[in-house]
Amino acid sequence: MESPTFGTYLQINGVEKHFGNQHVLRGIDLEVQPGEFVAIIGRSGCGKSTLLRLIAGLDEPTAGEIKANSELMKGLNPEVRIMFQDARLLPWKRVIQNVAIGMKKEDLPKAELALKQVGLIDRAKEWPHVLSGGQKQRVALARALASKPRLLLLDEPLGALDALTRIEMQRLIERLWKEQGFTALLITHDVEEAVAMADRVVLIEDGKIAMDTPIKFPRPRQRGNAAFAALVEKILRRVMGEEENTPAVYARQST
Amino acid sequence: MKKSLFSDQVKKQLIPWLLPILILIIWQLLSSKGILSTKILPVPSDVVMAGVELIRSGELFQHLLISFKRAIIGFLIGGSIGLFLGLINGLFPIADRIFDTTIQMVRNIPHLAMIPLVILWFGIGEEAKVFLVAAGVLFPIYVNTLHGIRSVDQGLIEMGRVYGLRSWLLFWQVVLPGALPSILVGVRYALGIMWLTLIVAETISADSGIGYMAMNAREFMQTDVVLLSILLYALFGKIADSMAKWLERKCLNWNPNYQNL
Ligand SMILES: Nc1ncnc2c1ncn2[C@@H]1O[C@H](COP(=O)(O)OP(=O)(O)OP(=O)(O)O)[C@@H](O)[C@H]1O
Ligand SMILES: [Mg+2]
Repeated sequence: MESPTFGTYLQINGVEKHFGNQHVLRGIDLEVQPGEFVAIIGRSGCGKSTLLRLIAGLDEPTAGEIKANSELMKGLNPEVRIMFQDARLLPWKRVIQNVAIGMKKEDLPKAELALKQVGLIDRAKEWPHVLSGGQKQRVALARALASKPRLLLLDEPLGALDALTRIEMQRLIERLWKEQGFTALLITHDVEEAVAMADRVVLIEDGKIAMDTPIKFPRPRQRGNAAFAALVEKILRRVMGEEENTPAVYARQST
Repeated sequence: MKKSLFSDQVKKQLIPWLLPILILIIWQLLSSKGILSTKILPVPSDVVMAGVELIRSGELFQHLLISFKRAIIGFLIGGSIGLFLGLINGLFPIADRIFDTTIQMVRNIPHLAMIPLVILWFGIGEEAKVFLVAAGVLFPIYVNTLHGIRSVDQGLIEMGRVYGLRSWLLFWQVVLPGALPSILVGVRYALGIMWLTLIVAETISADSGIGYMAMNAREFMQTDVVLLSILLYALFGKIADSMAKWLERKCLNWNPNYQNL
């Protein structure tokens, strides 16, 4: 385990983002502790990816400020890595070279170690296109972690995977997060995934943080248990904007 | 069992050649019986003989060499300019603003239409041929390089930036490989234009080269040499195309679309 302050301490104050006259983010305030795991949920198009791009420094906020470790961000943040929904592996580089992207030659052992951690070291010399979707995402995870980022941003990285592979990947990410101590921000459509993995679940609605729920269940979390299921239902109902007494089953079916 | 498999293979290889051989035989028969005038088409055996004769005198080799030289120099000059312009216009919007409209206007002039002007400028010297070839290959390479760079997956570029690739590294590791399939399409197309331009240029104004050999032979009614020249051009066209294919397979071996060519 790395020192408890290894992860980035993130402060987002009054951040707004406009595209023309479309105001996507209208004042986001969020503080994330070093090493914390925060899940961000919200309806499609509510600005989750936009927020992530601002945190990575790929784009600039229209108003407000973002601080990493109490320093105002300028340009791309070198201690950030993103895992995208599509793996975004370079098709013209072998798996191992993909993992080692942006690293110096002498750091190759780090890339190999990362590939070992995701269990794909025996595929190191293959072209990415021969891998399955789940394997591609594992390579992408290895690539994200090879350079020991202090902040990992995950933009629905498991959205396209089947249920079984998904749970495997969730466990893998959780394990590596515990081992390495980075701060993690996970965007997901899957409330159950959010509750299973995060210390906190944050809901973005109308360009603002509309809900911020700490998840106190001890790890490793048991999904089958009643309290877990109840919390998932409660959050789901909140996301759907339904009254507390509406049975969530209907809410689910109507989506 | 094994033997029949082998002969099956041989049969498969031979079938495409049956028709050309049959045509050659019929042609040979028609010409030698005097049914087909040798002024229109020479006897195939005469073409072979003419080739042997030209090889023995060393003349063929000389003409071949000079044609090759023109093709390669013209291709390298035009290709580099096209590649360079395509790269900077694709990478820097400001360069695109300055150059693209002008390039598109010049591109619409058929380069062969410039032959009279080129003869005025350079006479029938080497520069004329090299210039025409260069002008011919420049645009297909320019257009395809530009298109290749513009169509590189933005997601990959964004990923590269997040993963610490800056300017030169980003270009070398992401943008160029992403544009390469399109650039190679341009190269392949340009190789075709290269031969075409050279044939026309050498036929109209030259005192050496395969095209000249053909025109010279025409004056002396040597249909066999004319035909030989045409066959040589066809052969070189085919060789150039095979080279382009080889290059594609070599450079794009990561791409499943190019692995089984
Ligand atoms: N570069 C851009 N220019 C204009 N509008 C944009 C741009 N990027 C995002 N938007 C708009 O901002 C809004 C939020 O987009 P964003 O991608 O952040 O949504 P999201 O919450 O990630 O949705 P999803 O869950 O479907 O991925 C959308 O309406 C989108 O059209
Ligand atoms: Mg998104």
